[in-house]
Amino acid sequence: MNLKSERIQIDNGIHLNLIYTDKFKSNLLSYYFLRPLSKDEVTKNALLPLVLKRGTEEYDTNLKIQKKLEETYGANFSISINKRGEKQVLRFTVESINGDYVGDKDNIYEVIDLLKDIIYNPTLEKGYFRKDYVNQEKENLKNRIEGRINDKRSYALDRCIEEMCKNEKFSIYPLGKVEDLDGIDENILYEHYKNVIITSPMEIFYVGEYDAKLIEYIKDIGKIERKELLNIPREQIISGVQTKNMVSEDLDVTQGKLVLGFRTGIPYEDRLYNGLIVASDILGGGPNSKLFRNVREKESLAYYITSTIYKYKSIMLIDGGIEFQNFEKTIDIINEQLEEMKKGNFTEEDIEISKKSIKSSTESIRDSAFLISEYFFSQILSMDNRSLEEILEDIDSVTKEEIVEAISHVVLDTIYFMKSSKNQ
Amino acid sequence: MDIKIYENDKIKEKLFFKELASGLKIYFMPKEGYTKQYAIFSTNYGSIDNIFVPIGEKKAIEVPEGIAHFLEHKLFEEPEENIFDKFSKLGANVNAYTNFTQTAYLFSSTENFYENLELLVHFVQHPYFTDENVEKEKGIIAQEINMYRDNPNWRVFFNCLRAMYGEHPVKIDIAGTVESIQDISKELLYKCYNTFYNPNNMVLFIAGDLSFDEILRVIDKTERKDSKKIEEVNRVFKEEPKGVRENFIEESMMTSTPLFYIGFKDEDINLSGKERVKKDLMTNFILDMLFGSSSIFYNELYEEGIIDSSFGAYFTGKKSYGHSLIVGESKKPKEVYERVMNLFEKDPQSILNEDDFNRIKRKNIGGFLMSFNSVESIANNFIDLYFEEVLLIDYLEILESIEYKNLIERLKKHFVKENVVLSIINPLS
Repeated sequence: MNLKSERIQIDNGIHLNLIYTDKFKSNLLSYYFLRPLSKDEVTKNALLPLVLKRGTEEYDTNLKIQKKLEETYGANFSISINKRGEKQVLRFTVESINGDYVGDKDNIYEVIDLLKDIIYNPTLEKGYFRKDYVNQEKENLKNRIEGRINDKRSYALDRCIEEMCKNEKFSIYPLGKVEDLDGIDENILYEHYKNVIITSPMEIFYVGEYDAKLIEYIKDIGKIERKELLNIPREQIISGVQTKNMVSEDLDVTQGKLVLGFRTGIPYEDRLYNGLIVASDILGGGPNSKLFRNVREKESLAYYITSTIYKYKSIMLIDGGIEFQNFEKTIDIINEQLEEMKKGNFTEEDIEISKKSIKSSTESIRDSAFLISEYFFSQILSMDNRSLEEILEDIDSVTKEEIVEAISHVVLDTIYFMKSSKNQ
Repeated sequence: MDIKIYENDKIKEKLFFKELASGLKIYFMPKEGYTKQYAIFSTNYGSIDNIFVPIGEKKAIEVPEGIAHFLEHKLFEEPEENIFDKFSKLGANVNAYTNFTQTAYLFSSTENFYENLELLVHFVQHPYFTDENVEKEKGIIAQEINMYRDNPNWRVFFNCLRAMYGEHPVKIDIAGTVESIQDISKELLYKCYNTFYNPNNMVLFIAGDLSFDEILRVIDKTERKDSKKIEEVNRVFKEEPKGVRENFIEESMMTSTPLFYIGFKDEDINLSGKERVKKDLMTNFILDMLFGSSSIFYNELYEEGIIDSSFGAYFTGKKSYGHSLIVGESKKPKEVYERVMNLFEKDPQSILNEDDFNRIKRKNIGGFLMSFNSVESIANNFIDLYFEEVLLIDYLEILESIEYKNLIERLKKHFVKENVVLSIINPLS
């Protein structure tokens, strides 16, 4: 199956992307709002989906919304708030059963209505959001921000990024800051919401079976008057490193978490970016990678050790969970393996294995409605017109020279280490 | 033996089955148009099977905690080349997991499926343990255990089980402890392997756009023909005392908000097949009606700020154990507990409403049908039900057979004070 998306502009800065498939037992509808990742609005943006999901004009409590979702054969409603590079992305999604399976053809229309209402027709009080909902969700957001520490691995990755990109917008945590919450109330948030609705670039995705009637139904977004569109600039890519950074944090943990942050300086538009993807996979992708073999299998230092490229910012992070006293030893091995890569000490077979692994996970996108929508969204974000097949070909055509060149651009910027002085 | 085909018109899926002479059972669900292919080879052997009569012996032995999981790691060892590399070269992702009742080896691929299948069957059927490679693994698994030690969700869960069960090995951490794994040796691993990795104790499930004939041809060519088919493995479970060991357990660790698990131990155990699945479903219906996101309980406590969207409730169990878990984060975990207990003191008729039941049933039917979208979900759900003697394709029928009137009795019997545990993880002060 060749993946195809039909892209229709339905208003100023709003595009509907239609992906027809009868492979799944469900259909998926997703709305993405794009905002600049900025200190001024990050917390307000993060709070918005949490408040919106609390109630619509018609279903003014969470209880009523949840009942409606259950009635529509357990439609899955979800939201997410995250960053793609220096853009903050708010997503609202609903996936529901294809009506043919339950003898209810119109189920999809009810589901679409509900999603549109959650986004466009929130329940209001004196013309603003409900005060109690806003206060409760402020508290929930605060708990979520403070709860970052509960997942030590992702916390360590976030902290490395924060330290490394201190002076860049990319360091901003996408759920915002606890300190901002005091300054937000139902009026301020509602004014912000109105602005988000009319100025944000938006992408809507529908994956599933559809006909002309359904398209018209999705296209109809009511009487919103869109204003001048926000312009969100492309991320700055820093190559080279001014000051090397070493940060350690003392927490009451059993396992040390090591993160090494590197600058690659290779933007995703560059052809060499394909070489970088393959290089990172050879170094620390799967169980055949150099880091897995040496840090885990040979030296038994870690259970996990991986390398990841952050596409929009062109940085590379290596992270592993180790004993506190193995800090230096692990770093030495990582450096050694990186040097080996730079010298070209890896085989044609290593390259083949990595290419296969990257291609296979890319191709697997086709088996999930959600991944299909995320894939097309990411193509739009990076203004990449290549088809899935062309992307696969580009990975295939990467040469050893390109891999060596790509990895030679990689420079260590920041080391983050989570340790415990108490449990040492 | 002939190929058997199961069909279900509502689900619109087919299931093929064949049992080989060795006792190995093979199931296949075709998924036309899917890019991904998935195979899972699973043995009915998990962390709870720690006392058993080894094959060829007469007396039961007790093995170190965590050995089933250790064995899972070590099966990836080969005399010459690392098994990971072989799969990688064929472009497949190989993985494995151990839970309370089974150990499963799996791969997903987008090409070279049959070669990968051959590899899977071969490596699972050819153990290669040496003193050296067993020792080496201890360091890696110790790091895995430490990683879980720092995970507050894992700790609050296992503390709950430890408080709930006096004897049943479900209270043991799946990976064991850094200390217990030191006692694992090559000899012990072979003993476990030979007992539990007999084809008759295993199942192979495959999903994807593939041919069953070709699958059978490859397996017939590859599978070990020298293992004798044994009947049932003799497993020993110490008698589990009635009630719970302790009704409260708490611990402090690095976390932001207190975490809680409220567990109800099930005493209606040892059911099998459809009866057990039906009991699981009924219990999950009750929990969903009382504590799900459309329940009064959830919405009241949410609006009071006592719980957040991490709150949830579910029943989980197998033949020899079962428990309902009501879990979440809260600044006032004890208050959540009180409110849960107050709810169960009310008349069941008054809290279980038939409209809610019908809606929850509808949600479950939709959710079940949608789970067929993903080959991973199909395979994992299939394997999970299989050793309970239920085929995934029959599940919808069981789901539809649940009636409102069944729930009242179940609630009265299962949710009792004598069987409840509260486990809390507090932030460090």
